[in-house]
Amino acid sequence: MKVISIEALNRIKEKGLKKLFPDKLRIAVGFATCGIAAGGDKIFAEFEKIIEERGMQVYFTQVGCIGYCKEEPLVNVTLHGKPLVIFNQVNKEDVPKIIDGLLKDEILGEKAFCKIEKWDHVTGGEIFYGEGFSHITNYTEIPYFKHQKKIVLRNAGLINPEDIEEYVAVGGYFSLFKAVRELTPEEVINEVKQSGLRGRGGAGFPTGLKWELTKKEKSEVKYVICNADEGDPGAYMNRNEMESDPHMIIEGMTIGGYSIGATKGYIYVRAEYPLAIKRLKKAISDAKKYGFLGKNIFGTEFSFDISLVKGAGAFVCGEETALIASIEGRLGMPSPRPPFPSQEGLWGKPTNINNVETWSNIPVIIKKGSSWFSKIGAEKNSGTKVFSLVGKVKNIGLVEVSLGTPLRKIVYDIGGGGTKGKSIKAVQTGGPSGGCIPTRLFDTPVDYEHLKEIGSIMGSGGIVVMDEDTCMVNIAKYFTEFTQHESCGKCVPCREGLKEASQILSAITEGKGEEDNIKRLKEIGETIKVTSLCGLGQTAPNPVLTTIRYFENEYEDHIIRKECKAKVCKNLINFYIIPEKCVGCMACSEKCPVGAINGEVKLVHTIDQEKCIKCGTCEAVCPLEAIIRVSKQSKNISKTYSG
Amino acid sequence: MGELVKIKINNNIYEAEKGEPVLKVAKREGIDIPSLCYHETLKPQGACRLCLVEVIEGKPRGITTSCTLLSVNGLEVMTDTPEVQKHRKIILEFYLAQAPGSQEIKRLAEKYGVTEVKPSKEIDPNDPLGGKCILCGLCVRVCDEIMGVNAISYIGRGNYTKINTPYFEKSEVCIGCKACADVCPTSAIQIEDINDKRVMKSWSKTEARLKRCERCGKYFAPNLLIKHTCKIYDELDKEVKNLCPDCRRKVLSKKVFISKKRIIIK
Repeated sequence: MKVISIEALNRIKEKGLKKLFPDKLRIAVGFATCGIAAGGDKIFAEFEKIIEERGMQVYFTQVGCIGYCKEEPLVNVTLHGKPLVIFNQVNKEDVPKIIDGLLKDEILGEKAFCKIEKWDHVTGGEIFYGEGFSHITNYTEIPYFKHQKKIVLRNAGLINPEDIEEYVAVGGYFSLFKAVRELTPEEVINEVKQSGLRGRGGAGFPTGLKWELTKKEKSEVKYVICNADEGDPGAYMNRNEMESDPHMIIEGMTIGGYSIGATKGYIYVRAEYPLAIKRLKKAISDAKKYGFLGKNIFGTEFSFDISLVKGAGAFVCGEETALIASIEGRLGMPSPRPPFPSQEGLWGKPTNINNVETWSNIPVIIKKGSSWFSKIGAEKNSGTKVFSLVGKVKNIGLVEVSLGTPLRKIVYDIGGGGTKGKSIKAVQTGGPSGGCIPTRLFDTPVDYEHLKEIGSIMGSGGIVVMDEDTCMVNIAKYFTEFTQHESCGKCVPCREGLKEASQILSAITEGKGEEDNIKRLKEIGETIKVTSLCGLGQTAPNPVLTTIRYFENEYEDHIIRKECKAKVCKNLINFYIIPEKCVGCMACSEKCPVGAINGEVKLVHTIDQEKCIKCGTCEAVCPLEAIIRVSKQSKNISKTYSG
Repeated sequence: MGELVKIKINNNIYEAEKGEPVLKVAKREGIDIPSLCYHETLKPQGACRLCLVEVIEGKPRGITTSCTLLSVNGLEVMTDTPEVQKHRKIILEFYLAQAPGSQEIKRLAEKYGVTEVKPSKEIDPNDPLGGKCILCGLCVRVCDEIMGVNAISYIGRGNYTKINTPYFEKSEVCIGCKACADVCPTSAIQIEDINDKRVMKSWSKTEARLKRCERCGKYFAPNLLIKHTCKIYDELDKEVKNLCPDCRRKVLSKKVFISKKRIIIK
């Protein structure tokens, strides 16, 4: 069933559209890792059961994730001719209710989160889903969606990622057809160059230029690689891109292979992403069946194949030379550049490596053209970027915005601000090697240059929000411990420098800090940045250096006054039970893992500070918020509440 | 010989082969740049970060390692700027903390101005490398890339990294060539010949049987090493391969005298 002509491709598109818009009801459960974690698999099973029990005529399927993690599990429903309706936070009990409504051609109002009347699938153009349901909010009115610009996530959460025909239905593989049948490799590269697309893995190197460098190398054998070794704590953009729309990556890589003259591609994906691996495998095998991969693609001379390589979980293998070493079966350690992978890459051959999200943009650029693409975003920063917005922010999820969007818009307009009425203190961008940016700099446009200017990086797109309850010294310690752990150990500044930094930060958070600590942290931070071999070391001191730059007062509190104002650092705080609030419910004393809480039923409880290990369990289980954290230094409160 | 280029080191012009590491040029010209992980027979790997220089003209501008900096026309570097001194000092401090047992590190630290030494770490009495290893990786690479044996490797990651035989067990592939100890910049690797055995004390007490000289009866080199060498240099004269170096010299000089030919061993 190899597709050779545009007519055949259009026939598949028609088949796919019939699945997206069947004559009957279509129900699709959000089935990416985030949805499953929120219980999506149980919802799926429940729908399946009831549909079968009632013998309903339904096109029942799964989709990826539309990115609004806070509202998971999500279920999409399309009644023929009507808009697509998204149900949010669906639980098992909701399922029969939703189905009852649907059987009467109605939508259960209170569970319906929003509707989609039309959606721009970008490569497939704007697709009209249907009209009606005036009682349901349009997704464009939901603040979380309103300010986003979906290019990479053009199909995420709307198509079944395991169905190649649905991908073709929304414009998939038409860009590949155009590239190999209508454009020369040079024209493709030129288009990518003109688009201004820059590497989405973090460094922001111009993609077209990278391709051109690899193309220029004279070699019979060349490779392309997709870097899917996403490892930043709290970041999962690439995971969702692979789980929700794997074919866009394959299409992008194949176009890349065509233009630089490679016949083989590798996707290096971390083994901790089993669902992404499963879907990529399925996608590769389906693409081969349809002839989008394999010999003589679309009847041309061009042949291309893709294999998966599973990474064993080393963060440093996201660095391109270490990644290549890992594919070759060698130790995942970076090597000095030059030679660059474009000159001597995988098995010594010219190799082009791009991140998942970079590849995902390629079909769009080919379809819509470079001038369309370059108009989106900011100067020298064209296009969009997907961020995973996590931490102490109301709306957690994947957010795609035009580059150059101010941080404030992402955190407040899309993210909805802090949780529980707390005020936001800072955000950290760019993963464990990013910097912490204080609120006063929230008008900074998010692009490669501006983030660098204020001491942070774009990285692969993590945004961790921190509020007044976050201790910045503790945050610096956390990220430094992470990078220290993930350092490959090859070069001394990263290996030994991060260890020393980690030790100093630990001492400070334990109240054992000394006055010259800040000076020393700055000094070694600078040396690690300047003298490390690879990007991991060169950026690893960012959390320490930026927290000192913007929150030096917190360091001083810890070092001089032995006080953690955010009340996070265990050695510097005590837990106290406010006697006026305690009703003696015993919730805390039953849960205390070390038996440090004394008290009888209906009598005020007290905490034995000698025994307390400051795990915070009591605080979490107290139904009356009677347990508070107090600074060891604030003698008054200790006296008042020490019982 | 490749194309010649002119580069400037500390304001003096030197000739270099195009693509030649600046560190190599500096060593040839007697310019002082400290380094620990550089070895002429191996590709520069930029691991020890000690051979820092400041690039004044050319790329990458600023601080970089001279072993990975390749000569091109117009390249201009300085080897002892305040920036270089500052970072080199901190790197040596890191080494002092990591390898408190190494005299070489102490010497370099003193030479390059590390005056204030933090209370140094205790040397772990169980460390088979005596607190001297700086993880430059030369031993691993010479064992792999030059000898083709792969008896030792990195174990673990980051500052938990160690170098030893797999699973800290006696190596079954080590040929006892001692190349690792020869290239080690901090003399961390202990190898000793005891009677008819060579004992790689640092490498999980791996042992290699020694060969006895057919002529004088002295134990001189591991059996496996001789076999390995014969595989590489099959021209090695069969007559002398079982002789110790002393006897070999005697026999060979007699042969040379007779044949008036020189034997060149690469």
